[in-house]
Amino acid sequence: MKWEVRISYKKGVLDSEGESTLSGLKTLGFNNVDNVKAAKVYLIEGNLTRRDVEEMCERLLANPVSQDYSISEVK
Amino acid sequence: MAGPISLDVDDTGLIAISRDMQLSLSLEEMKALKSHYHALGRSATGIELETFAQTWSEHCCHKTFRGEVEFEGRTISNLLKTTIAKVTADLNPDWCFSVFEDNAGIVDFDGDTAIAFKVETHNHPSALEPFGGAATGVGGVIRDILGVWGEPIANTDVLCFGPLDYPYKRLPAGMKHPSFIYKYVTAGIGHYGNNMGIPTVNGAIYFDESYVGNPLVYCGTVGLVKKSRYKRVIKPGFSMILAGGKTGRDGIHGVTFASVDLSTEQERSVVQIGDPIEEEKVRRAVIEIRDQGLGSAITDLGGGGLSSAIGEMTELGGCGADVHLERVPLKHPGMLPWEIWTSESQERMLVCAPVDDVEAILGVFADEEVEAVVVAEFTEGESLRLMHTDTVVGEINVPFLFGTNIRTLRVATQPERSFSEPSVRSTDPGADLRALLAMPNIASKENVVRTYDHEVKAQTVLKPLQGLDGPGDAAVLKPLFDSYKGVVISNGMNPEYGKIDPYHMAACAIDEAIRNNIAVGGRRIALLDNFCWGNPERPDRMWGLVRASQACYDVALEFETPFISGKDSLYNETELGPITPTLLISALGVMPDIRRAVSMDLKETGNKIFIVGATKDELGGSHFYKLKGSLGKNVPKVNAREAKASFDALTKAIDSGCVRSCHDLSEGGLAVAASETSFAGGLGIELDLDKIPRKGELSTEKLLFSESQSRFLVETCDSAAFEKAMAGTVFSEIGRVTGDKRLRITAGTATVLNIDINRLKGSWKNGL
Amino acid sequence: MAYKVCIIRAPGTNCDRETALCIGSLGIEAEVVHVKRIMDGQTHFSDFDGLIIPGGFSFGDHVRAGALLGKILKERFGDELVQFSADGKPILGICNGFQVLVECGLLPGRGALGALTTNLSSHFECRWVDLKVEESDCIFTRGLRRGIRLPVAHGEGRFLVTEGELQEMTEANQLVFRYALEKGEAAGGSYPENPNGSVEDIAGICNKAGNVFGLMPHPERAFYRFMHPRWTKSDDADSWGDGYKIFKNMAEYIRR
Repeated sequence: MKWEVRISYKKGVLDSEGESTLSGLKTLGFNNVDNVKAAKVYLIEGNLTRRDVEEMCERLLANPVSQDYSISEVK
Repeated sequence: MAGPISLDVDDTGLIAISRDMQLSLSLEEMKALKSHYHALGRSATGIELETFAQTWSEHCCHKTFRGEVEFEGRTISNLLKTTIAKVTADLNPDWCFSVFEDNAGIVDFDGDTAIAFKVETHNHPSALEPFGGAATGVGGVIRDILGVWGEPIANTDVLCFGPLDYPYKRLPAGMKHPSFIYKYVTAGIGHYGNNMGIPTVNGAIYFDESYVGNPLVYCGTVGLVKKSRYKRVIKPGFSMILAGGKTGRDGIHGVTFASVDLSTEQERSVVQIGDPIEEEKVRRAVIEIRDQGLGSAITDLGGGGLSSAIGEMTELGGCGADVHLERVPLKHPGMLPWEIWTSESQERMLVCAPVDDVEAILGVFADEEVEAVVVAEFTEGESLRLMHTDTVVGEINVPFLFGTNIRTLRVATQPERSFSEPSVRSTDPGADLRALLAMPNIASKENVVRTYDHEVKAQTVLKPLQGLDGPGDAAVLKPLFDSYKGVVISNGMNPEYGKIDPYHMAACAIDEAIRNNIAVGGRRIALLDNFCWGNPERPDRMWGLVRASQACYDVALEFETPFISGKDSLYNETELGPITPTLLISALGVMPDIRRAVSMDLKETGNKIFIVGATKDELGGSHFYKLKGSLGKNVPKVNAREAKASFDALTKAIDSGCVRSCHDLSEGGLAVAASETSFAGGLGIELDLDKIPRKGELSTEKLLFSESQSRFLVETCDSAAFEKAMAGTVFSEIGRVTGDKRLRITAGTATVLNIDINRLKGSWKNGL
Repeated sequence: MAYKVCIIRAPGTNCDRETALCIGSLGIEAEVVHVKRIMDGQTHFSDFDGLIIPGGFSFGDHVRAGALLGKILKERFGDELVQFSADGKPILGICNGFQVLVECGLLPGRGALGALTTNLSSHFECRWVDLKVEESDCIFTRGLRRGIRLPVAHGEGRFLVTEGELQEMTEANQLVFRYALEKGEAAGGSYPENPNGSVEDIAGICNKAGNVFGLMPHPERAFYRFMHPRWTKSDDADSWGDGYKIFKNMAEYIRR
């Protein structure tokens, strides 16, 4: 089983990496960019259920004050 | 690569073997191998040829500096020995502990504690993968310090880039833009140093069009060595322990790659991303092994990987070795023996030890969670045997590997060029000064400096930014908790002068590195040289290299500053041409008491300002001319004898306590130095140009912007004491510190400049 | 009996030596302990009279700064550390150590959650900052009245909590240091005085009892005056720096 976990900033928490990437892209002439969000992705393999991966997010991978997570299975 | 390779072929065949295997060996070298194997009566194996290629590479044996050069009708044999190393040999100071021998130069410091310093370059990897290239450059030079049993305490980084506003349209296909390289090189340096907890305390960033596509990344590390624990003993029967990161396919052929011009089709596999946390664990273990008195010798794995490191160890011990390549922990299963042997994977060290120490050493590594294995045993005799699971895959005669000396012959010819002085005037000196302060080479580098941790270890007494964020001349460290002794680190580099004459460029770089050190209170200075040059096979580049080396001898000897270590990076050329010849001089000084250290920011209203050293018509290669679109002719020249007398006197003055601030005059001359010292102190300054000691008639702009060497601006709280200390040297009182936050420069009664220092600071801060 | 402080380290911790020298010079024995030794059961937190989690990049700061060490401490030694704190023993977390304390829940405490996330500038930054000392029960800042100056060096120091929690912390006097303007008042989010964009300019907080203290600035880099960026302007290189008092207070509290 292979799971993809994506960690991103919660709504309302300024995503400074996304913002600075946005301004960087604009500097390079990509004027049509409206928005950039940065996220961190983990690929996790093993005999794991979705619940196991959720628990990983809750216990380590995401800080609920600042981060959201989403989980998807990789086929 | 697997089967035997017969060298019993003609010259064309030999050249083809060297090319196809990417050995970068010359025909002469291939012919030497051919007769060697002929005498042995067998074919070579791939792994053997790889070993010769690594050991005989430009990177490892410095063919150009140790070879022969035809220069002005004579042949110079071994440029290194006859110029740079000769300074040290002639001076033979008793405080030099180890020079030009080991991974780093080492000088005495305090009792059993000595200081090691090494500066390396990582230019080609940084051009291809700026973040990884720069990061592993830092990691590599830190390992050089570990490789002399040294505890790293500070990093220095000098970086050269193309102009950040270089037009994208002019960039050849596949070449990375200077602003991209700049961003990721600085990020890579910060990443590695910060993560390892080694402060980056000194450096420079320099821009020139010739660095487009070929950035220069000089990485230096200073470390503390315990002299009583410095061991380099190897005997047959001793073991070799490989410790650190796993070995992978990364970085194979990095060394031979350094000998060819940079072109776009080179593979990415030569570069890699470092792991500073792994190296931090290795660092702890190595220092623990040292402190427990374990181990008999140590070296880092750098260019050439195991092949270079083990080869050098056998040569040092005058013995042979049996290497068991299958024992090497691998990142990628199925790696071939020659790949394991030449991989340049990062964060690895080689520790040699008598058998009795091995278990304890492995235990220390295990405590730090560092993988370590015995990979080889030293043997009697002179055979380096490479084995992979009981099969001998190569056998090399050590004396042949290191004793074969195929002298490279280079030709040096002075290029035909003529220079002339422009007739430029400064109609608005204030505007020119502000424009100078905003030039990228002069402007504040604060935005980069602050991304490096320069405080970690809590030893940084004088920091890169001084006063109100002014540019410090040198860093001062207090590395021992129970001693006030200080380590002083500075650098000098003047690529612009090299466009006129590499001799004077080198002389000025030495003067600048030393005077930066003197300015804060440093003394007993040792130097490091790092040449970055174009293809030395081209006679004009070679001519410049010889000239610069000669200056190193002439000037450093006069200053009595030995060279203790150095490195060259040649072949810095792209399809846009060669880089401008660039010599970085790093200076390592000491001071008896850091509480006497002098920073560059003005301290108190009413204090007198002196200038030390004479001002001359020397604006060739100056930033004022550059601002006006000219290069000029009258490049600054160093009178080292006079300069030494004045530097020694200034040290006396600093020790007497009468010097409150001191700033060296460099790019932009007096006007820029006065601005910097002023806004760094948040105080005004008033100077009278008429009082400046000078040679010949000088116009106002020349007095303001000349880049004559060996000069300082000094603020003193006791003019009489200062004048007494400086007696017999060229100096003069030219002004005073004022409380009104204005830079006011007059020529007698006429006002030349009168500007708010915060306006000057604004230009300086926003230049980059 | 000699008092002993545990300086805990993990792979990537790199300020343990200078931190140990500070507390060690105040008559308290400082022992640098690899977290592995605690996990192996060779050493116990309860053997010590105080705990310091020093700066660095524990476990490479992978996942989030301080997260891996924080979660190890929380899940493996949570009860032990809660007891350690309940016994009134002092715990100091500096920079990465503050991140660890927040990740393991010892700060802000009471089961509340905080975060130290990426600086608004989105890069690592090393600079000296002015700090306003708030009224609190923090045992580490006793006697500190006027503003002080300490260096920060971090990429993830933006303190975040929910609004409700912020109010509780304020009411419980848990705000200890706030980034300030040169004149002394809180920075109001202005950069670079507030170097990371922390909510309410928070630079350091303590638990309700005041014996657990986490701060982003590095007091060990300001132990002596000659570490201050402007020490050359005055004539007191030998005197104590602004960080000294924090260690002095810790030592005195341990000896109380």
